[in-house]
Amino acid sequence: MITPNIDEKDKRRIRDIVQDFARKHSLWVLAYGTGCGAIEIPPTMTSRYDAERFGIRGAATPRQADVLLITGYLSTKTLKRVIRTYEQMQDPKYVIGFGSCTINGGMYWDSYNTINALDRYLPVDVYINGCMPRPEAVIQGFIKLQNLIAEGKGNGADKYKENLEWYRENQKKIIHNWEMPDYNW
Amino acid sequence: MLEKENKLLEQIKKTFHSAKVEVKREMRVAVQLRSDLIPPFLSYAKEYLEFKHLSHISCVDWIEDDELELVFILWNYELHVQIIAKTRIERENAQFVSLKKFWNQADTYEREIHEMYGVNFEGNDNLGEFILEDWEGKPPMLRDFDTIKYSKETYFQRPGREDAQNVRETITKHSGEEVPEFAKDYTIRNIEE
Repeated sequence: MITPNIDEKDKRRIRDIVQDFARKHSLWVLAYGTGCGAIEIPPTMTSRYDAERFGIRGAATPRQADVLLITGYLSTKTLKRVIRTYEQMQDPKYVIGFGSCTINGGMYWDSYNTINALDRYLPVDVYINGCMPRPEAVIQGFIKLQNLIAEGKGNGADKYKENLEWYRENQKKIIHNWEMPDYNW
Repeated sequence: MLEKENKLLEQIKKTFHSAKVEVKREMRVAVQLRSDLIPPFLSYAKEYLEFKHLSHISCVDWIEDDELELVFILWNYELHVQIIAKTRIERENAQFVSLKKFWNQADTYEREIHEMYGVNFEGNDNLGEFILEDWEGKPPMLRDFDTIKYSKETYFQRPGREDAQNVRETITKHSGEEVPEFAKDYTIRNIEE
């Protein structure tokens, strides 16, 4: 009998290919918006651009959602809520940084109240640049995320778990009054 | 034209001799008062002149004069005239009286001014945390609060802005526009400074 020469790592990969193929076509986006970018989501989701043809739909609560969209500037006050929301989401979960503000602060880079680099606080899988990105760009960002998932590279949530201490340190640097439950995944 | 505004101006001048009253334009009357005359003036405007609605209270930081300016905006529904009452208070340990007893909505504006400018409104027991969360240190809307420095110290800066150019000069050169001297350093602050 011939045993194919596949090691343990690749065996899992074959199962994952099927799994990721299914996941990629069913992205549930949390109906949550920060900043001004949330205004681009209704046209993306409704009949004109119809994101549902790519399998992208809205979800009502964090526990039902796969994708967390950070749509625009993020104040420290909102960041606290966003972290809590993200930690409530179940695996698999992905974060999309949306607009210039999440990348380098955008036009609010010198503000006393908005963060400048989102990936220091949350693991960002895909960035969509622009101020604001139009629905075409948003859909392109989603397709990029789908491709990453299909290749097995959409693993921001794993990075978050592995480097939790680093993320926590950054988060606690700006959130002084930390009153959050500790989730164990 | 400006009949009701001028009538109002005379009326206010008759009662408050030290007030500087000015008709800005149609529907706008600006009144400048000593800070101790503001509560009686607002009471007079509300009860006697029938300016029933407090639209807004805002604050301006005059750091050059070491003063804060409080601006009260009132509206009369019958006359359709807006009164803008201004007063200056000391900048250090700024104190003023609460107008909560005149208008309940003053509470919200006072909380905001307390948080953003550090003005203490006597008689308002609700001056706690409002918009900012866990804020320590100088109120952020004061002009000597250095927001760029604070942002640099607190948040992570992504590299890439170092070569930000002052494009104002290039644009004006192209269009032949003349920029007045005072407006020249308005444009982007040098990031290195």
